[in-house]
Amino acid sequence: MSRFALTIAPVFPLGLILLLCGLGLAAVVALYRLNREKLGEKRALTLSLLRLAAIVLILVCALNPARVIRQEHTVLPAVAVLVDMSETMGQPVAGNTGTRLEYARSLLLNGTSPLLQALKKRFRVDVYGLSDSVRPLATDELANFPAGGKKADARQTLAALGGKHAVALLLSDGNVEWRSAPLQRMPVITVPVGNPDAYRDILIKDIKVPPLGFRGREIVIDVTVKSYGYAGTSLPVVLNDSGKLLTAGDIHIGTSPAEVTASLAFTPDTVGRKNISITVPRQVGENLIGNNHADISIQVVRDKTRILMISGTPSVNYRFMRTAFKSDPSIDLLSFVILRTPSDILNVPPHEQSLIPFPVETLFTRELTDFDLVIFDNFNYSLYLRPEYLENLQAFVKSGGGFAMIGGPNLFHEGRDSLSPMADLLPVRFTDDKFYRRDLPVGVRLGRSGARHPIMQIRDGDETDDPEQERFWREMSPLEGINLMDAKPSSLVLIESADGIPWPILTVSSHGKGRVLALATDYSWKWYMGMVAAERGTQPYLRLIHRMVRWLTRDPGFDPVQITLPETGAVAGQEVDVGIAFQGESPDAVPEAALSVSVFDPAGVKVASKLKSPSETGQFLVSFAAEKEGVYRLAVETPVGSQTDFLIVAGPQDRLDAAPDHDMLKEIADTTGGKYVWPDDQLLETIGDFAQKAEGRFIEEKRLPVWANSFVMAVVLGLLSLEWFLRRRWGLI
Amino acid sequence: MISRRQFLAGALGFAGGWVLSGADLSFGAPYPHFFFTQIQYRGGEWDPNPMYAGPIVEELELRTSIDATRERRVIEVSDSALFYSPFLYMAGRYEFEPFSEAERAILKRFLTRGGFLLAEDTVGAGGFGFDRAFRREIAQILPEHPLERLSPEHPVYQSFYLIGSVAGRLKINPYLEGITIKNWTPVIYSQNDLSGAWSKDRYGKWTHECVPGGDPQRKAAFKIGINIAVYSLTADYKRDLIHHPFIRRRQNL
Repeated sequence: MSRFALTIAPVFPLGLILLLCGLGLAAVVALYRLNREKLGEKRALTLSLLRLAAIVLILVCALNPARVIRQEHTVLPAVAVLVDMSETMGQPVAGNTGTRLEYARSLLLNGTSPLLQALKKRFRVDVYGLSDSVRPLATDELANFPAGGKKADARQTLAALGGKHAVALLLSDGNVEWRSAPLQRMPVITVPVGNPDAYRDILIKDIKVPPLGFRGREIVIDVTVKSYGYAGTSLPVVLNDSGKLLTAGDIHIGTSPAEVTASLAFTPDTVGRKNISITVPRQVGENLIGNNHADISIQVVRDKTRILMISGTPSVNYRFMRTAFKSDPSIDLLSFVILRTPSDILNVPPHEQSLIPFPVETLFTRELTDFDLVIFDNFNYSLYLRPEYLENLQAFVKSGGGFAMIGGPNLFHEGRDSLSPMADLLPVRFTDDKFYRRDLPVGVRLGRSGARHPIMQIRDGDETDDPEQERFWREMSPLEGINLMDAKPSSLVLIESADGIPWPILTVSSHGKGRVLALATDYSWKWYMGMVAAERGTQPYLRLIHRMVRWLTRDPGFDPVQITLPETGAVAGQEVDVGIAFQGESPDAVPEAALSVSVFDPAGVKVASKLKSPSETGQFLVSFAAEKEGVYRLAVETPVGSQTDFLIVAGPQDRLDAAPDHDMLKEIADTTGGKYVWPDDQLLETIGDFAQKAEGRFIEEKRLPVWANSFVMAVVLGLLSLEWFLRRRWGLI
Repeated sequence: MISRRQFLAGALGFAGGWVLSGADLSFGAPYPHFFFTQIQYRGGEWDPNPMYAGPIVEELELRTSIDATRERRVIEVSDSALFYSPFLYMAGRYEFEPFSEAERAILKRFLTRGGFLLAEDTVGAGGFGFDRAFRREIAQILPEHPLERLSPEHPVYQSFYLIGSVAGRLKINPYLEGITIKNWTPVIYSQNDLSGAWSKDRYGKWTHECVPGGDPQRKAAFKIGINIAVYSLTADYKRDLIHHPFIRRRQNL
């Protein structure tokens, strides 16, 4: 409907226009009187009227008259059609029927009167596909787009579309993220897809596992199993470590649906990363089987570092080392001090002395593997240990244990025998001459491998090749007694004597899978008290002792090669980045060409990997495509060491709960002020009812200036021209 | 029948022992594992029993595996060698001059960072003489840690012998006192004149009688001396769990 009106919008103030009008009228009257005497009354009147008409027309233009046309319009409501296209929509509606997505498509596109077509006749319709992201869909895309991707965030989607649409129509099985209605309110009509009663599945829904496990201590894993359609069934839950059965437990499913948690416990007997698979057997008629299995990874570490220390005599050295061990709560020390030798005379009956038997047989046969580190401190083992005990000790180190020998006059008696297990085990060889010297104090200095070894980073801010470190050791208190020996070619000398012959003082090496250390003095306590005397603090000595223990017990933090796995884990089909870093020895000494990285998929097949340029010195990034789910093995080989780690790659159906959740759709409808409706003949009407509430009207106003055309200008010019013509004719010009 | 060579060797050995008994150890020599380092303080009488070290170290070597030397060292508190003394010893009869602030600071650093001190009042006069001066000084050195009677369960009573009662030349207090900081007792104090019970003259005779208990009391003084020495080198080793059942069983006998 249109309406017309005339308005004015003066270009000058109205008072000014009226003033000009009065002046014009006065001028015309004056002109009339002037001309009447010359031309007579008629002609003077004609000229005055012509002039008056021209002035009036100009003043009318100054009023800016305009014709206004008002027209009322009605706007079609916009409807957003949201089709859930996430992975669960690929599940069958029931039994062997088509998928949920196919059903939703059919509802929109097929039938005698397709819903989408009917909607487009009455409304402006935008179609969107929902999964990881929201994307607008053309009709042909809707017909062909497959189900896939993670569940959609419905709240975020509605917040983005709310201002542009009057109502949303959501076709989904209810597997969407929904926390609360967005601020931008838009009613959502939810249409359920899928049949919850027909859905049958067993899935591992949740796994609670401690981030760290401790060797020898029970680890409890809580596995929550969810089931649909298997009420009254008992199922086993099985834990395997690299194909070997760890433990298993039964769960009983009482109702449907149901969630049952099984607590499964096992005790790891070795340290390292455990890759554990959790499985619930496949049941007949399950919709999904990929979610019956899950892989987890647990790093098993020592709860405490267990040290067996045997001291040949009470000594200040023993007391200070004991104090250092006791100051570290992660160390569990079992020490034996030989308080008297067989040659010492006891002058009291046994019940008046506190000496206990030295359980040498138990320690060196049955209990040796309970320890992580064995220390002989100025201990003449030849008096107490049979050769087979020494062989056991050697086997203990070969299999990964640590061994340290602290010097003194009692030590190394039998070690001079080059055929003894100790001679093979130790990182040093004994000289043929006097093996222990206690005559003149001996200063020390860093050995050729001392600056870079992790044991030696004992000062605050210690860095490799730090000149201060060299000075620090040169200023250490001299030692009153040292054992004289030579380092084996395969050993690293960290500290050596600074006076005369450079005798090795602190020497380390590997032996099989284990590590060994020889500290060729029983006066290292003087380093501690020397720092106290010089008021230089006591931390360096304590750190030296602690770092010796950590290195000997193969603390993972001391490994020269460190592998950093992605914090968020990995999913099959994605590109995975793994960090590799070097520390301790000399990080910048590992060129890219010397770095060998191998990645093996769960089947043990090597996969292609790409080494990216290091961002910092000693740091590399390796990327590879993890196509399969399961445990990937990463092996890094470098000149400074090797390292292996494992990465769990989750499958697409890992912990996927694909059961239709129609309650979620009801909640969305309720919280948005929409409606939960089954697809029937009334669906279109329901949408219409919601859309009508938002139907919009507006009035369109057009303003057409009356004077702004050439006709008005021509009339003004015509009047003035006619006046000029008559003046000339009548002889006034 | 003894040969002339054997006689001469024995005579030289005896003479050497006679000359060296009670001698002080030169700091030019290397440090053995255990030796007495005695504080020479100002005023009072810092060395009431100069011949104590030989007999107790001889006993220590006879009964235990400790590598010790019979010679003692004598130092002043300001001597930096104090920090390399595994067993600091201080004794006296009379009141002595207060330590300077610098000396107190040195002793505090030594005692709180791993050092050990055995102090004893050799006259057993509580509240007088050396006892009064020592208690005053140690309270100034470690004001946060009181000198207290050590409980019968303290490791010093179990470090080698199982000891129920303490005695020296005197039997003033049947216990030891000490200052304990985090499971370690760096200061042990006696008022029973232990060193008086240990002392022998150059001819091997006891310097003092032990009263009132005689020889059994002297034997007890040596036992507690050995226990203190072993404790200074092993700390609370006997508190380790593995020792508990053995010690308890023997104490219940």
